[in-house]
Amino acid sequence: MTKYIPILALSAALTATGAAAQDKLTISVYSFAQDAYKEALYDPFEEMCGCELVIETGNSVERMAKIEANAADPVIDMAVISSHDALSLARKGLLQPIDTSKLQSFDKLYPAAQDPIGDSMAVGYTFYASSIVYREDLVSIESWNDLLGEKLAGNVSLPNITGTQGPLTLMMLNKAEGGAPGEFGATISEIGKHADDIVTFYSRSSELAQLMNQEEVIAAPVGRFAWSRFKSSPLPFAWADPKEGQAGGMNVMIMTANNGNEELAYKLMDYWLSTEVQTRVAEALIDSPANMDVKVSDEVAENLTYGAELINSLNILDPAVIIANRDAWVNQWNNEVIR
Amino acid sequence: MSRLTVWLILGATLTFLIGPFLIVILAGASAGEALSFPPQGLSLKWYAKVFTVESFRASFALSMFLAIFGTLAALLIGIPAAYALNRYDLPGAETIRTIVAAPIIVPGIIVGLALLRYFVVPLDVTITMALFVTHTALVLPYAVRVVSSSLNNLRADMEEAAVILGCTRLQAFTKVVLPNIRGGILAAFILGFVTSFNEVPASLFLSGPGVRTLPIDMLSYMEITFDPSVAALSALLAFMSVAIVFAAERLLGFSRYV
Amino acid sequence: MFLNRAEGLALALPAALFTFLVFLVPVGILLSVAFQAESGAWSLQGYVDFFSEPLNQSVFFRTLKLGILVAGTSAVIGYAAAFCIVNLPATSRGRIFGLVVLPLMISPVARTYAWIVILGRTGIVNDVIVGLGLSELPIRLLFTETAVFIGLLQLFLPLMIISLVSAMENIPRDVVPAARVLGASWFQVFFRVILPLTKEGLVIGGTLVFTGALTAYITPAILGGSKVLMLETLLYQKVNVSNDFVSASVIAMIVIVMCFSANLVLKRIASVRR
Repeated sequence: MTKYIPILALSAALTATGAAAQDKLTISVYSFAQDAYKEALYDPFEEMCGCELVIETGNSVERMAKIEANAADPVIDMAVISSHDALSLARKGLLQPIDTSKLQSFDKLYPAAQDPIGDSMAVGYTFYASSIVYREDLVSIESWNDLLGEKLAGNVSLPNITGTQGPLTLMMLNKAEGGAPGEFGATISEIGKHADDIVTFYSRSSELAQLMNQEEVIAAPVGRFAWSRFKSSPLPFAWADPKEGQAGGMNVMIMTANNGNEELAYKLMDYWLSTEVQTRVAEALIDSPANMDVKVSDEVAENLTYGAELINSLNILDPAVIIANRDAWVNQWNNEVIR
Repeated sequence: MSRLTVWLILGATLTFLIGPFLIVILAGASAGEALSFPPQGLSLKWYAKVFTVESFRASFALSMFLAIFGTLAALLIGIPAAYALNRYDLPGAETIRTIVAAPIIVPGIIVGLALLRYFVVPLDVTITMALFVTHTALVLPYAVRVVSSSLNNLRADMEEAAVILGCTRLQAFTKVVLPNIRGGILAAFILGFVTSFNEVPASLFLSGPGVRTLPIDMLSYMEITFDPSVAALSALLAFMSVAIVFAAERLLGFSRYV
Repeated sequence: MFLNRAEGLALALPAALFTFLVFLVPVGILLSVAFQAESGAWSLQGYVDFFSEPLNQSVFFRTLKLGILVAGTSAVIGYAAAFCIVNLPATSRGRIFGLVVLPLMISPVARTYAWIVILGRTGIVNDVIVGLGLSELPIRLLFTETAVFIGLLQLFLPLMIISLVSAMENIPRDVVPAARVLGASWFQVFFRVILPLTKEGLVIGGTLVFTGALTAYITPAILGGSKVLMLETLLYQKVNVSNDFVSASVIAMIVIVMCFSANLVLKRIASVRR
């Protein structure tokens, strides 16, 4: 008998794709902080609903491609994604409107989060500010324009155009130069002229944190969600408040069309937006709350994008503008900046 | 050349080749929070942390599974193929050889993408199965080559003698050939194991919810945190590979076969 | 040789069929994507479009340049090291050879990871540069072609040394001393004696290193980043960022063709030198 054990193990491993008979909800999320999410959201939800959560992670293009590829027979029931990615999926007819009456905490959400892309196709669950993190012992930052200035040359990193932070940086540089809103052509050319002064174009906030902790870079634009990485460093990092203001973004929840699992998906959305979960997620310093009832200590708030005053002051880039121009931006960027 | 020149050249080359690992080992032993060298104080906390990261445990198990069973599967079909290519006058032997060797030539990242798009998706294959198949295919050329070279060293007339003396062909194979190429098979297994375990590019696209090989998991861990635990894990894996190879070298002169 | 062909085929076919079906067929389909126009007809438009982008051109030439540089440098270092190794006494030869092979057994993730620490502004290379007064301030090494070059060289140099050592072991032991006694300079010994006798090893090593450098993903991804793209990192970006499978297929074909051509060119050079 023992000689068959490897074969048994083999066949078991190859066929083990879940024989579970219980209800199953498949969601697609950003890959960061999964351990913290498990504790704050997934585990309590599974216990509450008596169902199984299947979590798909990956970068947003991968995840969007998957939703698109399986449109006829959706694998993903619900996803969290950036607002412009959500709009692009909605325009392809891959989403269904969200019945907000099924979300008990809906009225507690900041107005900007209630219907961010129109037609109730998405609901915002977190906000983030985006500004410049810098070494206050070496430089000071007054304006977004400082990023391309003399004093940072050779020590600055910018987010890559392909990520969510890239267009936000373009928007703020454009604003600093007094360009027409949404017209980023001249801004990209300007970055191209300074390409040699830029250490690299980072694609992940962790990559930037490493570069800054290694003193490879002394200033760069980044989302507030990454601030805790910098705050805990022994180096003196500061969060800039440039005269043009801070940029802002929002991540949203979406429901795929015809997934047949709406009931469970609403349960999760409802739970995720509840004051209880939003508070827990905020206190774990993962995502800043979109629910206005969430109260956190000053210490926690310091790490987040928290409070109506701050959220209402953010410069938001219209998702429709991003979708309409992204290909052109990437094209120009590839030819003028990366070369 | 003087002895001094010889040792200078070798010393410089080996420093370049091996020095970085010593740095990884030490960087993993840092007491600080960020990856750095020289380390900010010494501590084994990152080495300890490696064992507490749940995803590392799962992906280590998957990588082990793929390296062991993928290599065994490759040997299962590779040994007969190597034997046939060595001992039979096959029509189209060159074609068969080329097909079997192809996975070495095609860049891994293309393999992963191709299998994802035209094997996993249309046939609705699980990611684990796809990884298993890919790793088997990637290891197969090494299995065939190493087993072939040890068959080459074994004279065919021994089997013929066995057959003349009344063995069936199968008996001749199991009683005469197999015991004599045991060393080659073990060498092929180790080479296949190490190749599969360290494989990155083909596995890059082949990952699913909770299913990732260890090197890919390390890369995605680095995307999230850049603490020294990846250095510690790298060092531990390096020790593991080296220990396996060293043991194999001691036991059977592994490098003769590679 | 056994003559029963049916039996032989039955033994060899599982491996061949397996590789063919689960490996060559998917790869073949992927490569054919770029040859199809939207109408389904055969077309080279994918290639024309790809090469009309300045970024793609520069990535192509950078990849070619780095591949040649890495292969060339590893040949130079490889000859020096291999010559030293074969002339060592047997026991230390085995040990040193073992140390050269050792890096190949270690995960490329670990092998590349180290360079982040070494080449950074606060890393040891910069400590030495500043310490020696070669530069006042630490210089930028990460995310440059130099960093990618160093990483690739370290990754693939062992393959060159192994190929050259096995080639040199076949040179009769007294040939080099004989040439020296007869008055040949080291330069002449190398070009007249060693090179002609080891060129097969050089072709194998050169192909392995060049192919390795072209198909490496982790090293350009980690040490080059988004500013120093190579074909493999560009391919990954085409798939995972822009969802552009035609370009991915074009790049795949280019890489395969480059690897094959490298082998042919090297063989050609080796046979001309005869």
